[in-house]
Amino acid sequence: MLAILRDLLRYNVEFRIGVALVGFVVVLSALSAVSPYPPQDVYVVPPDVPPSLSYWLGTTSRGQDVFWQLTFAIRNTLLFGCTVALISRMLALMIGLLSGYKGGWIDRALMSVNDTFIVIPLLPILVLFYFVMRDSMSWLMLALIMACLGWAYDARLIRSVAMSLKTREFTQSSVFSGMSTREILVQEHLPYVMPIVFSTTMNNMIWSIGLEVTLAVLGFTDINTPTIGGMIYWANQHTAMVAGVWWWIAFPTAAVIMTFIGLFLLAVSMNEYIDPRSRLGRIGGVAT
Amino acid sequence: MSAALLEVSHVGKIFTRGGLFSSRRIVAVDDVSFQIDAARPEIFTVIGESGSGKTTLSRMILNIERPTSGALSVDGLDLTTVRTNAGRMAFMHKVQPIFQNPFEAFNPLKQLDRYLFMTRRRFHAEADQATIEVAVDEALRNVGLSLKEVRRRYPHELSGGQLQRVAIARALLSNPKLIVADEPVSMVDASLRMSIVNLFKALRDDLGLSIIYVTHDLATAYYISDRIIIMQKGKVVESGDARAVLNAPQHPYSRQLRAAVLLPGVAAAGGPVSQPANVFREFNASE
Amino acid sequence: MSVEAAAPADTRPPDRSGPILSVTDLRAHFRTTHFGVNRYVRAVDGISFDVKRGEIYGLAGESSSGKTTLVKTIAGAIKPPLEVVGGTIDFAFLPGYGGLHRAPPTEVARIRWRHLSYIMQGSMNVLNPVRRLRQSFVDFARPHIAGTAKEFETAVIGHLARVRLEPSVLAAYPHELSGGMRQRATIALATICRPDFIIADEPTTALDVVVQKDVLGMIHGIQREIGSSVLFVTHDMGVHAHIADRLGIMYAGRLVEEATTPEIFKNPLHPYTRHLISSLPRIGDDVPRGGLEGAPPSLADPPPGCRFHPRCPLAMEICSRRVPDMIETKPAHRVACFAVNGSTEP
Repeated sequence: MLAILRDLLRYNVEFRIGVALVGFVVVLSALSAVSPYPPQDVYVVPPDVPPSLSYWLGTTSRGQDVFWQLTFAIRNTLLFGCTVALISRMLALMIGLLSGYKGGWIDRALMSVNDTFIVIPLLPILVLFYFVMRDSMSWLMLALIMACLGWAYDARLIRSVAMSLKTREFTQSSVFSGMSTREILVQEHLPYVMPIVFSTTMNNMIWSIGLEVTLAVLGFTDINTPTIGGMIYWANQHTAMVAGVWWWIAFPTAAVIMTFIGLFLLAVSMNEYIDPRSRLGRIGGVAT
Repeated sequence: MSAALLEVSHVGKIFTRGGLFSSRRIVAVDDVSFQIDAARPEIFTVIGESGSGKTTLSRMILNIERPTSGALSVDGLDLTTVRTNAGRMAFMHKVQPIFQNPFEAFNPLKQLDRYLFMTRRRFHAEADQATIEVAVDEALRNVGLSLKEVRRRYPHELSGGQLQRVAIARALLSNPKLIVADEPVSMVDASLRMSIVNLFKALRDDLGLSIIYVTHDLATAYYISDRIIIMQKGKVVESGDARAVLNAPQHPYSRQLRAAVLLPGVAAAGGPVSQPANVFREFNASE
Repeated sequence: MSVEAAAPADTRPPDRSGPILSVTDLRAHFRTTHFGVNRYVRAVDGISFDVKRGEIYGLAGESSSGKTTLVKTIAGAIKPPLEVVGGTIDFAFLPGYGGLHRAPPTEVARIRWRHLSYIMQGSMNVLNPVRRLRQSFVDFARPHIAGTAKEFETAVIGHLARVRLEPSVLAAYPHELSGGMRQRATIALATICRPDFIIADEPTTALDVVVQKDVLGMIHGIQREIGSSVLFVTHDMGVHAHIADRLGIMYAGRLVEEATTPEIFKNPLHPYTRHLISSLPRIGDDVPRGGLEGAPPSLADPPPGCRFHPRCPLAMEICSRRVPDMIETKPAHRVACFAVNGSTEP
């Protein structure tokens, strides 16, 4: 693992930049642990102060330090994105691999469910959930709902890879070596599926964070837990742009853009590395 | 029950292609029957071109496809009754495959010895590593390799001929009675081909295995087969003792196949090439 | 060893009596770098041979013999990581450049299909699957054949008759034809401009045995009629026996023997060739035959000296130190082997 990271750092510019960006954002979110102000508190500092030495990123109209708010916001947003990505990847993998390998009625049944989830319009459903659940809609709840909505596209991708792997002769060799279905899927097929899983993870994170920001800006989430979207929501509520408090919107936006670009670069560079064809090229085999 | 190792009885396979409103029926295999005796190990060859149904037939014998008509049984056990995991393991204990492409027989990203150890472990009771290694080494020696040469190697590090031998060793590790080899040497280099073909002979003579050898190559079929069937468009057009059929084919299609073999033309020009064979007498003796 | 010096680019008329293709000490290597892992594969390592006018020269070799790379290099399909590091490839109709890859694109376009054409292994590598056959003919051959469109069509139909294809196939898409028909169409496509030189790379390997014999006969017939030279590359010795006039045997990136086909099959001299010929099984012949020990060497890490010496029953001490030259041991029969030719060192 370390050797892989070392190789990537040494040879791949995109990876270096991606690591730098994401690393910066992660450090920022880790700083939330040492914040002098609890995140929910308001009017703890003078409001509307522009960026200066005492308040690095300025303060909000609600009397909060933008810098420390940002650490909490980016932490929550990242956690949110990771949770959604993790759960939905697991779902997509399980369903995609099983469906592709087994075929037959299992495949048909799972894909019918899959297609149903694909056609569901996301934003109206999420808004609906919010209105039904109101106060009990914590960010964890939202993460679970979005994970359940976000696995469908990628399950189909994984399924098509699984289907092509099934026809390759080494799958039959594994069967005749006495391996069970689960073992074949995990040990033989997973390495081929990993590049897709990885790039779709980054995609998924970007998608879920984007959607969360959208919902928060519109006010459809728990706006008391600070998130990037939440900060922008409050900024809009206090008409920050008109009032000239540009730093309240600018810095959260910059942070989330940095996160997106960093994640994208990581995905692209890691993908090239773990793609079986380039792996074979490295260990000396011929990638046909 | 009968003493047949393999009984293929009026087996047929029809594929339907197409959707809800239009479908095409493709008759891949049509009423094929033969038997392999358990007491007498033999090399049974299935000759055919592409589209003859020979690969579909071999897949049905391996229980990878289900026949649409007829019955297949191995050692008296009807293949349609093989449904549970235990049933499948018992079946694979008796019947093992060799595939055409040696470079695809193993996962290119994984080491080779893993498959060998796994096959041994899954099909036999004892679990300690030492016994397994001895058994794997013995299987590899049976095919002319050794565990030392194969340990921790990846597929791309070996030649096609060596990979095919490892595949055969893997198949031997479950102690099967029947091996189904689908075009096992067509993708192996000419200079390495005969050692694999000779190996099949040795498996029959020394280990008492029966082998179903599916191929389009009449020359190697002549070299090692005991009995032979020739398939065209899913049907068996000629069958019988291998030498008899290939020396004097009766059916027009068999004659066409025989006439299309390219090498005898050169042998006729200069006689059988006996001199070079003598140079390698020491090679042949050590095989 | 025949040598033709590469002249600077000039406009001499093509030499009508010399060989149509002259390859001199060709070296082509692959250089790949993946994440810091360097691999340097000496796929073609010092090959020299000539192809005469009107002959079918067979190139035989197994996998990792380098013959595919050799063909690609001669055809000019050289892109990184493949690079030509030495030697020349001289076509009589393209003098002075030392290889297609060194010639300007206008020259290449001029000779391609008119003087030099290809028959590839998969017909689907040549025929565009979304265009009808007629379009493929127009794309490839129309620029080289003068006359109206109608005259062109007549010429094409006449040419298709030579490979026993009905005019109706022109309206078909490639997938609607059988494999054999597609390959015959590819042959027609490659020969319609009556080229001087055809490169055929495993053209019958994917075909059924019966169709293969048919197609080989067709290639032979057309070649005799047009008078082209053919570089016929395949690993199948039976095919060579059937169609090649002269045969060059490749092993691990080098040429080890070259002679007329009957001579190679009757009196092979190089130990590798001798083994190859003796290991071919024949119907009606019960002689026990053996495989060769070991495996062809990796071209990234070949053995020093003669590359066959680790597997050779006649290997001597010198074989692991020096590379044997291709010497004309008998008239028109070249071999690269110290055991056969002797060596000047003690």
